[in-house]
Amino acid sequence: MNTTFERLSAILMKDYVLSADRLTLDAPLEGLGIDSLGTVELLWNIEDEFKVKLPAEPVQLLTVGDVVRYVDDLVASQGRPAAPAGVVVPPGLRAT
Amino acid sequence: MRRVAVSGLGVVSPLGNSAADCFATARAGRSGVHLLEIPFAGRLNAPLAATARFDASDHFDATRVRMLDRFSLFALFAANQALADAQGALAGLDLDRAGVFVGTGMGGTLTMDAGYQTLYAEASDRIKPFTVLMGMHNAAAAWIGIEHGLRGPNLTYSTACSSSAVAIGEAWLRVASGQLELALAGGAEAPLSNGSLKAWEALHTLATVDAETPSASCRPFSKNRSGMVLGEGAAMLVIEPLERALARGAVIHGEILGCGLSNDASHITRPSVAGQAAAMRAALRAAAIDAQAVDAINAHGTGTQANDSAETAAIRAVFGEHAERIAVSATKALHGHLLGAAGALECLLSLQAMRHGVALPTMHLQQPDPECDLDYVPGAVREGVAVRTMLSNSFAFGGSNAVLVLRAADAPRLQ
Repeated sequence: MNTTFERLSAILMKDYVLSADRLTLDAPLEGLGIDSLGTVELLWNIEDEFKVKLPAEPVQLLTVGDVVRYVDDLVASQGRPAAPAGVVVPPGLRAT
Repeated sequence: MRRVAVSGLGVVSPLGNSAADCFATARAGRSGVHLLEIPFAGRLNAPLAATARFDASDHFDATRVRMLDRFSLFALFAANQALADAQGALAGLDLDRAGVFVGTGMGGTLTMDAGYQTLYAEASDRIKPFTVLMGMHNAAAAWIGIEHGLRGPNLTYSTACSSSAVAIGEAWLRVASGQLELALAGGAEAPLSNGSLKAWEALHTLATVDAETPSASCRPFSKNRSGMVLGEGAAMLVIEPLERALARGAVIHGEILGCGLSNDASHITRPSVAGQAAAMRAALRAAAIDAQAVDAINAHGTGTQANDSAETAAIRAVFGEHAERIAVSATKALHGHLLGAAGALECLLSLQAMRHGVALPTMHLQQPDPECDLDYVPGAVREGVAVRTMLSNSFAFGGSNAVLVLRAADAPRLQ
């Protein structure tokens, strides 16, 4: 488990009991059963998983890809590694 | 006013998680009170409680379990069970005329306690995002409404230990008056947080541990009573017009004849004989029955020195000589004090007792008290008695008293 997408998928599969094949970058969050409240919870879990601090500004996240991009940007701007040390994230897997 | 039936029962309790199990345990006089086996027990003077054996993940999906405090999970489980028991009560119903009435004293206190633990003990600013939604008192009622699409009044009552009796009384009034065609009414409480246990301990109202038999630590109406034991759970009733329930062929658990409310308006904790008596008189008036019609009472009977003598005096004041002929049961000896859910659980047990023709026992009544000199059905259930009309008493800190009048269904007695 090393990419942002994979780590995010692990959270979603655990909390929403989703199968891996439903988790694609363009999958709408609402379609996965994650409403606005679910997104709030997801962001809280993201803080834990990616060791980032969420900014106070509201953000609109509609798809799994939106969340991946948001996390990657946070990690980049806050200067922490998105993956455990020693793991290289292939640029192609970043949904930017 | 229309006649109002109870056509569905649901419960989570220290005595079992179905109406049948809960009643059977009470009938057998088996106590749900026990020593707490949690790390925090070492910091309690009397680590006692009556806990419900309830694993929410056995009944709800992971999203629900994460979003609902234990008191809401109790309430939702009990409401689902009550509706299933009521056999198609929602079919063909205008759901704008179906309401939810829930009593709770402490709401989501476990959630709030966990938040304080995070904030202060762990010095973290990361409070869980659902803390507000889980902690709010009206969460239980809200989730019941969401689960079943009930669009009528969705109300939460918090009058401490009379909360759910008030909720049932308010539901009765709305169904009897024709405002609603159905109500889910009852109460839920999950008060066994560390903070809550310490707060109750600090008030010096909790029972000391009976060293020989911890399960017998709560001793209502006994001279050596030392206080109450906290319990957890929920009880919900489906309430509807008797005519509608009969037309559907539903099992009628009993009728609600009325509810009487009063306020002590005197002291924040000390019970008032006059206030308690006023609630019982108001209940008899609401039910339009004579005092002599009352066969039995499920007492508030907490096991505190102050309550039990005051309640005895209040019953004597209302019923005079007839008080001698009333079977007075204090089931809190067995299930503990469920605070805001107590009235609903005791209402459920009273309805079951009438259906089976028994007077439930007041357990652990070891030493007669001259100030508590009624027939408390001490030590063992009384079988084969004609109990047609009962009161269920609920009194509260703050002085808010509620008394329900219940009548047995016109149906053959169950064994």
